[in-house]
Amino acid sequence: MVCLRITDLRPAVDPLVGTVTRDRLGVGLTPADGAALEHALRIADAWSGRVVVVCVGPESVEPVLRDVVALGVSVVRVPLGDEGDGHRYVAELVEDERALARTLVAAIAPFGRPDLVLCGDRSADRGTGAVPAYLAHELGASQALGLVSVVAESALDGAPWTLLVERRLDGGWRERLRVSLPAVCSVEGAGVRLRRASLSGALAATDPTPAAGSTGTTSAAVASAANPITAGPGSIHVGPTRPFTPRTRILAAPADPDPRVRLLELTGALVAHDPPTVLHPADASEAADLLLAFLSRHGYMDEIPGATRPSPVDGDVEIDGDGQAR
Amino acid sequence: MPEQIEFDAVVVGAGPAGASAALALARAGRSVVLVERGPFPGSKNVYGGVVYGRVLDDIVPNWWEEVPVERWVVRRSTMMMTGTQSLSVDFRSQAWGSAPYNGMTTLRCHFDAWLAGKATDAGARLVTSTVATGLIRDSAGRVVGVRTDRDGAELRAPVVIACDGVNSFLAKEAGLLPRAEASHHTLGVKEVLDLPPGAINERFGVQDHEGVDMEILGCTRGIPGGGFLYTNADTVSIGVVVSLPELAASGVRPEALIADLKAHPTIAPLLAGSTLREYGAHLIPEGGYDTMPVLAADGLLIAGDAGAMTLAAGLWLEGVNFAIGSGYAAGRAVDRALSKGDCTAKGLASYRADLEGQFVLADHKRLRKAPSLVLSERVQQRYPGLICDLAEGMFTVTNPTPKAGALALTRQVAARHGVKLRQLAGDTLRGLRIFG
Repeated sequence: MVCLRITDLRPAVDPLVGTVTRDRLGVGLTPADGAALEHALRIADAWSGRVVVVCVGPESVEPVLRDVVALGVSVVRVPLGDEGDGHRYVAELVEDERALARTLVAAIAPFGRPDLVLCGDRSADRGTGAVPAYLAHELGASQALGLVSVVAESALDGAPWTLLVERRLDGGWRERLRVSLPAVCSVEGAGVRLRRASLSGALAATDPTPAAGSTGTTSAAVASAANPITAGPGSIHVGPTRPFTPRTRILAAPADPDPRVRLLELTGALVAHDPPTVLHPADASEAADLLLAFLSRHGYMDEIPGATRPSPVDGDVEIDGDGQAR
Repeated sequence: MPEQIEFDAVVVGAGPAGASAALALARAGRSVVLVERGPFPGSKNVYGGVVYGRVLDDIVPNWWEEVPVERWVVRRSTMMMTGTQSLSVDFRSQAWGSAPYNGMTTLRCHFDAWLAGKATDAGARLVTSTVATGLIRDSAGRVVGVRTDRDGAELRAPVVIACDGVNSFLAKEAGLLPRAEASHHTLGVKEVLDLPPGAINERFGVQDHEGVDMEILGCTRGIPGGGFLYTNADTVSIGVVVSLPELAASGVRPEALIADLKAHPTIAPLLAGSTLREYGAHLIPEGGYDTMPVLAADGLLIAGDAGAMTLAAGLWLEGVNFAIGSGYAAGRAVDRALSKGDCTAKGLASYRADLEGQFVLADHKRLRKAPSLVLSERVQQRYPGLICDLAEGMFTVTNPTPKAGALALTRQVAARHGVKLRQLAGDTLRGLRIFG
């Protein structure tokens, strides 16, 4: 399933009062939504799957949906709010993204439970990117958000279908994850571009007698024989990683069987801490000695020539040059 | 081998001409596909003028009840100006403000989509975001379809109607449109300025839904052409249309001409406080009747701007109505040709005959000499100042000096502008012959 948020890509914003004016002729797919659809088409090709596109929006988005239909996918549009210009719809969307996620899940119920949901990472008009997370909650699926690459992995006989995905991290690093199904993945508008429909597909999308949709939905051309992906318990497996900052602390894993206790131990939450030490050195030289001693104690410096190494404080973990704690 | 998708006709370009052609064919029960390169008809949105809807009377009954109009034009003002003067001939008719109306300001993104919607409602198939990249010919050289920039298929039909606008690539490929002559084209540049409807009503002396059409001569620094100002619902379109080679030779930027016009003492108060919403530019085929290409070939017709059917005759500046008229006539001609089973140039010849029998070619033929007069050096560079100075001389009270006689004043002003009276009389006579 692909969730699209079709809106005016260049809305006018009143600089004085912030009123957003959307032009119905300016609606289109964001690069992120286009990338989501392209990823879905590629995965469907790889797994012989079926793509169902669902969006919530007014009638004015129909021309864009016809372009989507031209790609040979099923499309469901859920009318919501003011069919005239869609402004009320947008307002409702922004106000209640959880309700929107529930609406989307309900809209695709006739197609069966989706094994994979793809969507753009956020909408162009004040989007917060919360809908994918709500969708994952509603579907009981795993979530992997803000992806730049989604690749379908070939499954061996009997093995579950998985995706190999990648997302950006701070500092130019990337994280690679292996995602099993069912899952909700949101993607950035990067890496892939939505393909163009063939001429015959584009013509088929203009057929004045499309397959009739049920009340409240628009249904059009349906893809080739559906072959739903086998569903399994959802989880995201984190693959081998390496530290992406040069001074990672290596800590022994908490041993307590209670995950809550382990979490508290890791985060240090609810633990009384001494207040910060405020130093008022008599002079700059003494201040420098104190700072150097602090850095040395915490493993940020080699031994200070001529300096006395302070004793470790209880609770501190020292890291030596090869990153091992002692 | 690409798939071949068959239609009775392929229409390229979903502007007014193409949509009208597709509408005529669809109503005749023909299968027709309308190919548009933009994401929707009218998406180019560079037009900023008045559409005269009389041509729609027979095509869409009571069209005024549904057409996406900005304002109905009730004031038509023709203005001569210099840097500090202006003289207007301002005509107003309240009859133009009620059905069946005369002219309207409209935005093409809405108007074209509406007209193309009529065609699709009648059964035409509209394919957008698709460029017709070339003609397909059979072994005898007849046009039998078009290739597009979409993979996998070709559009095949006994007739292709090229409505792909000025500088038509399809007409060129067919050999009907010779190499584009810059002197046959003008460049239209415009700005659309936001202005509250109340301010428009107050400043232009109109009520809601009433609009103004101003055509201006003498505002282009001597470059042959003119200016315009049209009122929309909550915007004003202002711009200039200038000769392409003369503009290039002058070295003047077209936006500088618009800036001059906006700053003119007569225009500036009308636009005070407005803000720029958008701007655009477009080539206009203003060569007229004598520069029109051959309109039909074996399996091919040309309509609208592709056939140089914009009428630029000084007093009249019309294009969309000529596009609609020619497009609809093309559609009907193709229907007749299909019925006869003859889609050669001879079988399609009824198209030109139809156009000559109606306003499209009749007006062009009658006004074929107008462009050369309107764009002449005296009309463009001398007469605006001459007329303004003449008016200033007439209306300036020179007490205690007695008033000068009109003939003496005319002789004096004409001499100041380097115009001889016999030239003035000759141009007047020439104008009467052209427009009379």
